[in-house]
Amino acid sequence: MPVKTPAFYGHIPLKLGDKPLPGRLIVIEGTDGVGRSTQIGLLKEWLETEGFAVSDTGFRRSDLTGNGIDRAKRGHILDHLTLNLFYATDFWDRMERSILPALEAGMVILGDRYIFSIMARARVRGVPAHWLDDVLEFAMVPDQIYFLDVDVEHLLPRVMANRELDHWESGEDFLREPDRYASFVRYQSALIKEFRNLANQYGFETIDARRSVREVFEDLQKGVWTVLEDMKS
Amino acid sequence: MTKNRLNANFQMGQRYGSHPQDGKYPGRLIIVEGIDGSGKSTQIDLLGKWLKRLGYVTVFTEWNSSPIVKRTTKRGKQERMLTPMSFSLIHSADFASRVYTQIIPALKSGTIVLADRYVYTAFARDSARGVNRDWLRRVYSFAIRPSLAFYFKVPLDESIRRIVTGRDQLGFYESGQDLGLSASREESFRIFQGRLLEEYDRLTEEYGLITIDATETIAVQQQKVREYVEPLLPGIMQFDNHTVPDALARTGLSGRYLPPAGYRRLTDPILTEG
Repeated sequence: MPVKTPAFYGHIPLKLGDKPLPGRLIVIEGTDGVGRSTQIGLLKEWLETEGFAVSDTGFRRSDLTGNGIDRAKRGHILDHLTLNLFYATDFWDRMERSILPALEAGMVILGDRYIFSIMARARVRGVPAHWLDDVLEFAMVPDQIYFLDVDVEHLLPRVMANRELDHWESGEDFLREPDRYASFVRYQSALIKEFRNLANQYGFETIDARRSVREVFEDLQKGVWTVLEDMKS
Repeated sequence: MTKNRLNANFQMGQRYGSHPQDGKYPGRLIIVEGIDGSGKSTQIDLLGKWLKRLGYVTVFTEWNSSPIVKRTTKRGKQERMLTPMSFSLIHSADFASRVYTQIIPALKSGTIVLADRYVYTAFARDSARGVNRDWLRRVYSFAIRPSLAFYFKVPLDESIRRIVTGRDQLGFYESGQDLGLSASREESFRIFQGRLLEEYDRLTEEYGLITIDATETIAVQQQKVREYVEPLLPGIMQFDNHTVPDALARTGLSGRYLPPAGYRRLTDPILTEG
């Protein structure tokens, strides 16, 4: 199995670049309710059938900061810089203690969101983009980033069919709209726009997520199969 | 040497890097740096008392004290979950929280902010742990540049003598034991503090920190500090140190809604240390 040394978006944090990593990191980005976790579930089932060791647990809240972030968000007392540095800590902790070891062990990591969700949410809230890009430059460059692209018109029925509109997913922490529907539309439109900017800046593979789950999955299957080409023995 | 480090271009409110500037702040920001046992906390405490006696409104902030973040940091330290990068990041979150909730509002309102440790503590400690220097400066680029930055320089042996005689056990991270420098905590502490001294020398050069010889007597050091601070005081917010009832009494008013003159409630001092 070919082994490669990892690449990072900025400086190499603390000699991590020396470690050979036989695993692969595949990330799915996209806005709330676009179907990321559905697709990851499908990919995991499929890849395990094909004989790969797959992990999709790596990017849940870390032990270190999970509680602290939830506590702080409940209080609504965090300025945007502090909150994002908290997210950065959380992200690094997961990367260092769960993603890198899994990659060293030769697993395929399916990441539900990556640094780009943090960036998109921060940018629409007015955090200087260059600053947060700098902070998060310690992240490893994934082997592939898939962006599930959707417009608000197609997103709305999907979200409405599953649950009620969420406070954070409607940007109510900083927007002042007459109702949650208006807030959701405005916030998600801005968020999707930022994701598209990031797709250009960081070279995402964009997938049209207005289509059915089946069609999106077929596109992902084709792409992932190519990414894992040289892992197949 | 000039006693006032405020050069012609300096404007209170400036950031270290390119972050949105929201104008000139009327306050002053005075910060102290140095390794453990350098006596910096004593000096800033004395400075605060002196300023208050002169009638200036001061706000005190110290490293690693944000009410929102410090629980996480404490837990990470207790359970030894912190690596150099997560140690660095969680401290930057703590610092950002204090910049936005304590330091900027105080500077905008025109008070004197006294900070025990500032960005240079992060630069020194994290660099000593091997974190990328350039990245650290970009992470902290949102910080407000101080009016005065003092570095209390003390030789390693002297700082260790002070700590041994005056303090509880050395901490795991304070001793740099996370770096595996030595099995002995004392030896590890010595090596790590030695590295910090080297980092502070670099920082003094890079940022023009005002070096105070911390082997001199407390009174001599304090005198020097005050000489630097004095030129910054004209125009700073002062308050007459009266209680609410005193102020009311001077208006000559009385009645059932007003407490009698001389009556004190626990919350009476109009402004207390932040």
